[in-house]
Amino acid sequence: MPITQNALRVLVLVPALLFIVTGVRWLIAPAGVAPMLGLTLEEGIGLSSQIGDLAGFFLTLGACMLIALISGRRLWYYPAIMLLAFAAVGRVLAWLLHDAALALQLIAPEVIIALLLLVAARYLPEAD
Amino acid sequence: MADRRRRWCATLAGLALAAGLPNVLAAEAVSPDAGDPRPNIVFILADDLGFTDIAPFGSEVQTPTLSAFAETGVRFTNYHTAANCAPARAMLLTGVNNHLAGVPNIPEMLAPEQRRHAHYQGVLGDNVVTVATLLEDAGYHTYMAGKWHLGASADKRPSRRGFSRTVALMDSGADNWEQRPYLPLYDRANWFADGEPTTLPEDFYSSRFLIDKTIEFIDSNLQDGKPFFAYIPFMAVHMPVQAPQAFTDRYSGVYDGGWDELRRARLQRAIALGIVPPQTALQWMESRGDWDALTADRRRYEAKRMAVYAGMIEAMDFHIGRLVDYLRAHGEYANTVFIFTSDNGSEGSGPADQEALSSRFGAAMMGYHVDYERLGLQGSYNTISPGFASAAASPLAFYKFYTGEGGMRVPLIIAGDLLPRHNTLTPAFAWATDITPTILSLTGTPLPGARYAGKPVQPITGRDLTPLLTGERERVYAEHDAVGYELTGHAALFQGDYKLVLNRPPLGDGQWRLYNIVSDPGEVVDLAAQQPDRFRAMQLRYQRFQAENGVLPLPPGYSQMGQLLTNTVKARYADALGVLLVSLLVLLPFYVAYRMRRSAPR
Repeated sequence: MPITQNALRVLVLVPALLFIVTGVRWLIAPAGVAPMLGLTLEEGIGLSSQIGDLAGFFLTLGACMLIALISGRRLWYYPAIMLLAFAAVGRVLAWLLHDAALALQLIAPEVIIALLLLVAARYLPEAD
Repeated sequence: MADRRRRWCATLAGLALAAGLPNVLAAEAVSPDAGDPRPNIVFILADDLGFTDIAPFGSEVQTPTLSAFAETGVRFTNYHTAANCAPARAMLLTGVNNHLAGVPNIPEMLAPEQRRHAHYQGVLGDNVVTVATLLEDAGYHTYMAGKWHLGASADKRPSRRGFSRTVALMDSGADNWEQRPYLPLYDRANWFADGEPTTLPEDFYSSRFLIDKTIEFIDSNLQDGKPFFAYIPFMAVHMPVQAPQAFTDRYSGVYDGGWDELRRARLQRAIALGIVPPQTALQWMESRGDWDALTADRRRYEAKRMAVYAGMIEAMDFHIGRLVDYLRAHGEYANTVFIFTSDNGSEGSGPADQEALSSRFGAAMMGYHVDYERLGLQGSYNTISPGFASAAASPLAFYKFYTGEGGMRVPLIIAGDLLPRHNTLTPAFAWATDITPTILSLTGTPLPGARYAGKPVQPITGRDLTPLLTGERERVYAEHDAVGYELTGHAALFQGDYKLVLNRPPLGDGQWRLYNIVSDPGEVVDLAAQQPDRFRAMQLRYQRFQAENGVLPLPPGYSQMGQLLTNTVKARYADALGVLLVSLLVLLPFYVAYRMRRSAPR
């Protein structure tokens, strides 16, 4: 059982670190990370919103996952789950309602990691 | 008496054609007293027919009517069309490049990013005039029976695009035995008659029905002396591949040797007929699979899939023959020009194993079966495998949807007793946009220019092929003339005897290549390294074609089949999916609150 739990922790840790790195990249080198999300950088207020909002999204996401892992408090998984689930649902609705592309290459990781976090929230032990 | 007068005028027309003066003749010969001497035009379009799928191009399939056409006309061995359906139809019916005519692809495969552009709607634009409109305005009766697929809204239907009588399928395809869709994208098979939704008869079989309707239309106006233009876009041999049992039975055992054997045999017959040069070499498509590795049961099944396909071709030919018989019986045959071709090359998208669980499941989801015994009959969902599709295109490489010759080079026959050259082959390059100006020339109808009916229109860019019919000229495209083509990033540029081509994955490698398609129609020897100057010049010319025709870059991550799938899901399940997702949005916070409450330390 500890092996399974440790494996699960690693599976949570890796995307958490990736999200943190992505958030930091939005802060210091947004031109490199924007194309990964199909974005071109705006100017003025648009650029401010892109950097501020997306850095906030990814840093909060990764931080919640890390806090959950380090503190052993499972409550912290749920904000991350909601962020990922809302993002995935929003992408599908963007496709349905606004003729956006169906970005399966982005939706699939979001859904998979959200499900992974749900499993972690249920089966990793709560700290005393 | 009227019939004799008509024959006399037709003879005159033939003589004038031989002199290379078709327009002048037809214009001068029209006289109310003498009756209308202009020829009838029967334009027959097969669907997804491969380069060597008919006997006069090297097929083992018996097509006596088309063979008779070949004996009374000219076979074009270097004719090219678009690599898929609607773009080809747009060019054939307007003489204008498909991008400029609003049909860069079929609408079912367009991405949302592309649809934001007015010329990327996949339906025939209002900026082009169809050959039917031009002929109708010139006094022709204009009939259509078959697949339209150039727009289903009221203003886009064929009844609003120049055809006075129509029975038309609006979709990319449909069942051949009954009124049902062949893809889950459609909730019904959208057949229309004279612009209104219609119901197919109980005894429907597509090829028979379309010829019955064509004869009915012609017969209804036969006595008024006016010539007619009949456009018959068959559903044969688009999937689902279906044929009457009697036709399928004729090919029992014919394909037991497999697709490689058939591909070689067709090449040899095509060489013997002069369709391709004697030294023609073959590429072997990896997608075709290994016939020798199949079990005996699989070989038996695959051979029957192909037998149904052959039966469907022969059934089409049989029903074309009924139309010819009708025209002979009513004295119209001698004054009729027949044009036969295909919209694109053979379809290689059928599953390699049609009996596999995934294929069975897909068919069952639409209420079809894939049983061996009933293959091709009503309720059966049949295709041909990529292996036999490659044989259908022999000796060419690639398939429909690709810019390899197998997707773009198809048979073209222009025939009729009044044409001066019979049983003739021409290796001259010809392109889909050439059909409309050729018909206009044969009928003495003026080209529309840059304005028509008081509004600006795209001018016709196709070439009149009648100099090839009369023998006046050996080619209508000069060495330096270039014809470009693009479909979802697959690209081609024809110039002189050369072709610059790029085929994208999954079957292509995304690399530009250069071939001499006159000496090497199989596209085996890449000349890019040997002729770098020509290679670069043609690449630059292709870029000019892109700019001149508004070719858009491909959206990131685009694939034809992936887009078709997502468009299908969106079309059929958007409402249910929307309700589900909004419910998820609303319920998720409550679920999280519940879980947090349960997880919180007590």
